[in-house]
Amino acid sequence: MIAGLLWLLATVDSAFIGYREAAGRNALIRKSAYFHRALIRGALFGQIAVLIVGVITAVVLISSRDAGALFSKFELVGVRMLTVYIPYALILLITFCIRAVPSVDIRSITSVLIFGPFTFIRPVIVLAGAVWGVVAVPGAITIALTVLIVSLMLGLEYALSWLRSRGVIS
Amino acid sequence: MSLSTITHRGPEISDAIVSFDPITLQRKPVKKADVLVQFKELRNHEAVRIVERIPERDGVLDPAAVDKILITSHCEMQRMSEEFQHGKRVAELLKPILDALRDGGVQNPIRIVDIGCGTGFVIRWLAASGSLGDDVELMGVDFNVALLNEANRLAAIENLRCKFQVANAFRLDEPATVFISTGILHHFRNESLSYLLQQHCRPETCAFIHFDFHSSPMAPLGSWLFHVVRMREPLARHDGVLSAVRAHKSRYLLEVTRSAAPEFVSAIYGTRLWRMPIPRVFHSLVGIRPKFHDAFIRNMGPRIASLGKIE
Repeated sequence: MIAGLLWLLATVDSAFIGYREAAGRNALIRKSAYFHRALIRGALFGQIAVLIVGVITAVVLISSRDAGALFSKFELVGVRMLTVYIPYALILLITFCIRAVPSVDIRSITSVLIFGPFTFIRPVIVLAGAVWGVVAVPGAITIALTVLIVSLMLGLEYALSWLRSRGVIS
Repeated sequence: MSLSTITHRGPEISDAIVSFDPITLQRKPVKKADVLVQFKELRNHEAVRIVERIPERDGVLDPAAVDKILITSHCEMQRMSEEFQHGKRVAELLKPILDALRDGGVQNPIRIVDIGCGTGFVIRWLAASGSLGDDVELMGVDFNVALLNEANRLAAIENLRCKFQVANAFRLDEPATVFISTGILHHFRNESLSYLLQQHCRPETCAFIHFDFHSSPMAPLGSWLFHVVRMREPLARHDGVLSAVRAHKSRYLLEVTRSAAPEFVSAIYGTRLWRMPIPRVFHSLVGIRPKFHDAFIRNMGPRIASLGKIE
């Protein structure tokens, strides 16, 4: 359940990273297909990040003397991360629902009050969730895994931009 | 980009790195050293760093490099326009004006000219929406050939019914019925702003709508935040923030317009959100000939109150 929720949030977050990375690079007017591709690309690259974390977590658990205890620790970290990430995600979700109202003013105000500021504070939220998780179960393994997760969450947009600069994505 | 950008007063980098002869519209060489001295004297170190990175040839800023930066910046600015639904916003004000002109017997076609259109987002959006009617001609003008080439390229890809031309908007062979612009008014200061508005006073011109940043205490900080999170090109970030800092106050803009273009009934729309004291990102300076004014107000209906009008 906890792993599933984290996966869901990671997938949605990476899809929006894909969107953000693609935004401002295509000046056509009708470009919904371009943004759909960007969302899917982001979500797929997010799966690579999830896979990396999943494989490393599995290896760590398998090689642990007490896999059950370690798994419980990871779960506790995950729960605490979710307590930070879920409210953030819910606010954005509600804002998306509000933005569905076909009003220029309402859509603009969602950007001014939520989407802009929340994009600005996203790195802080990512770090806050990680720190909040780790302080519950401090230890070399949990810290290392959390650092990896944070690096992947914050590094994905740069990775996509780098791939675009190399002509791998367009 | 540091928060100190909001303390600068101008000019914007894009104003300093390109120059055109106002008569021939030919591009003039811009010496890099002159631009750097200008920004150093203004202690705008961020602008100095950005200009230093622009390639030069024999001391002159490389026009191709400058154009590439400007096209990238315009593309990023378009993203912001899309997020804030600027195309729709323009159409919402244009439609009641066009209906008023039609009712008033203005001859077809109604020619809408976007002054300083850059890569032509607004004109292309209006053409793509197809919402203004078949009797409307859409045209964008600018001095920068590279930006207009890009506008034409984009319009051709999407098969849009609009055109772009290197021209002085006030000296077109086929004059404008309605002038529009986005984000250009703050580039004109004092007498040049007055002169720009004076030039609207020609018999064929029935109305104008100029959108620009709405000057408010929160605008510079809000603009800084949005440009940090949405823009990548350093010049776009810098100039975007400075645009909000340099925005004319609504009352001032209205006074200058009434003095420079008295033939029009002028007002500022979009100063606050709904009927609350919440400032908007953009306001719009609207001028319309008196014979069409009543019909325009009637066509606006209840929307006029929610826009927060200053008159």
